[in-house]
Parts: sequence; structure tokens; C-alpha cells
Amino acid sequence: MKIFEINGNTLSLALFVDVTNSKELLDSMQAGTLDPEVAFLNASLIPDVFPVLAAAHKTLISKSRESLTTRTLHSELVYNYSGSKHITESLKRCGISETSSYVLAARFNASPDEMKAVEKLINGKEMDLEELERRADQAQIQKHYKISSPELGVSTLADAIVCRIAARDAL
Amino acid sequence: MEIDTTTDAENGSLVLVKQGAEARVFESVFVGKRSIVKERFSKKYRHPTLDSKLTVKRLNAEARCMTKARRLGVSTPVLYAVDPVLHSLTFEYVEGPSVKDIFLEFGLTGVVQERLDDIATQIGDAIGKLHDGGLVHGDLTTSNMLIRNETNQLVLIDFGLSFTSTLPEDKAVDLYVLERALISMHSSCGNVMDRILAAYKKSSKQWSSTFNKLGQVRLRGRKRTMVG
Repeated sequence: MKIFEINGNTLSLALFVDVTNSKELLDSMQAGTLDPEVAFLNASLIPDVFPVLAAAHKTLISKSRESLTTRTLHSELVYNYSGSKHITESLKRCGISETSSYVLAARFNASPDEMKAVEKLINGKEMDLEELERRADQAQIQKHYKISSPELGVSTLADAIVCRIAARDAL
Repeated sequence: MEIDTTTDAENGSLVLVKQGAEARVFESVFVGKRSIVKERFSKKYRHPTLDSKLTVKRLNAEARCMTKARRLGVSTPVLYAVDPVLHSLTFEYVEGPSVKDIFLEFGLTGVVQERLDDIATQIGDAIGKLHDGGLVHGDLTTSNMLIRNETNQLVLIDFGLSFTSTLPEDKAVDLYVLERALISMHSSCGNVMDRILAAYKKSSKQWSSTFNKLGQVRLRGRKRTMVG
């Protein structure tokens, strides 16, 4: 896992493959009993950490203005990462599903103990974040974010996602 | 466990780079990356409600046009964040000189023909793509074009006056503004505009109607005559 600093807050990220208990994780998340509270992202849609950090930056700003669109800080991160305004659809596609096995866990301002607890929650193998690029599903990303081939001629996949995350509310 | 410490050093600090009539431009750091913040300030002579509405509208329009240009295959800085409360846009810091500086340098030390041709071709190609996609830049000057250091790729900036239009009139005026800017700033570089237009012709499918209009615009100037 790795910790990133964003405007005086931190975001801890941990990447897991071969996750076997995603149904339980989804259930406890939906019941609100996840302890500690954590965001699960569909890692196939993440080619790099930078778009996640941009989404986290946006989330922290909404939080500081008490203007979250979704119910919790961590669901807001998933919603922001999606680059779409449709909350249900965002959480479905960019969050965890019953069948997901490749998951990025994220928690704001986590203590070392809390991250240990998160690692215990997930039955899977933890990987280095460097793996994101190699394991990302380019076709799925292009479809979800509607990234055309002329755009990829002048931009990386990650930068294209960042632009969509940033510009969502301007559209 | 490792902590990424490279991000916090300059976080939040803003260094003024430029001040214009509509906005101030700062250099800053956005989650670990060097960035540019463009903040539109309020105009005190306007009614506060109107002022905030106009500012946010223009802010959003700029963000939209910048990202639309990318979708059309024209390189612009990566948009990092839009803040409707502070009226600011944050985007990637592009390392490299402006086309204006490169051309002025040519004027002083002699033209490097190969480089000039490459830049002119990229400019024509980029504008052709924008126009075919129905996007008019609105402020095409050589200071709003950068050349990325590592790749020599043209990057268009400042979409603050951009709008969507498919009218040949608007596209012709877009080209005309650039033509006038080149004549007044860079006459020592020879006829750059011809090269730009040649590349534009190759890149835009609708070049013919735009060129027709451009002929008319040249005769009358940027503004439409209201006489008769």
C-alpha cells in the first residue's frame, strides 16, 4: 500500500487481485457496517494512480464545503472517479460488484492500524500499485469514458480520464 | 509502507505568472504535479449576482472547449480541476516555449526553415481539426500556442474566447485573426500563413467554404459591415 498527500489530507491506496469475498464486501458496504469505512474501486478502469488522486482532490474540496453529492466521503470518491453524473451507474461500474476480483481499496486519513484492518477485510493478494497500468482494461476504459482514437493520439489514457473527472460538472 | 513526500513541498502555494483583463494566472502544484491555475476575478462594477453567473458560465465554457479540443485530437493542457466557487481552472504545466518566442527568435537570429515548416504545419492541422469538429478557438495568436519540449508537439492554450460554431464566417474570422497577428508580429519569418493554410486545407474537409469566406473577410476586416 501507499500513502499520498492531498492538500493536508492523506489517501491510502492498496491494490488487490484474486479477491474472493467481494460479495460480502459489497453487502457490508451497502449495509453501512464496513469498519473502517473504505472505498472499493474497480481497478480494471484505473490505468494510473493520478486520476484517483484527482478524484480524491475533488472529493476533499466538496467535503470541506459540505457539498458531497453522495452519502459518504468514500462513496463520493467512487462517484467522482466515474466522471459521470449518474450516481447508481457510477457506483456499479467504478465500484465493487459481486463478481469483482480486482479491486483498489482507498481510505482518507487512515491510521496504520486502520489500513491493517482494511487489508484483513479483503481476501485477496495485495499487489504493487505499479501493476495498475499493465492490468488496466483499455477497451473497457475507452467505452466507459467515451475516449475516441483521435484523442488517444494526443493524450494518455490516464490524462483523458483526468479531464473527464475535472470537467464533469462543467458539462 | 512508504509515504509519498514529493507532493507536499509547494502544495497550496501560488506564484503569479501573468495578469490579464479577465483572469490571473498562477503557477502551483496539483497533487504532486506542476500546474497552472487560471482564476477569473470578479468585476466590481457589475451587479454581484450577474457577475458570478457570467464568470461561472465562462469558466465552464472554457473547460468544455478545452476538453472538446482534445477529443478532436488537438493537444491542449490536461485539465486537472474546475472550481466554480473560486472561479478557477487548474491544468497541466506545459514545459516549453511559446510559438511567439520561437518566431521572435527566428527574427533575431535567422529562420530555421525546417522547424518553421514543422510548426506551421502543426498549426494548420490543429485548426483544421478544431474547425471540422465545430469548435472555433476565438483567440488564435502565437502566444496562445506552445511547443512541448520533449516532443515538439503543438499545444493550444487559452480557450477563454472559444465557442462552438459550424459557420464558415466564424472559422474564417478565426483564421483571419491569426493572419493579422502573424503579419504584425512575425513578418520577418516570411509567409508562414501560406504554409498554415496549406496544412489546414489538408486537414479540414470543409476548407473550401472557409477559404471563400476568408477572402471576403480579408476585404472587409474582422467585423461585419453593417452598411446597406
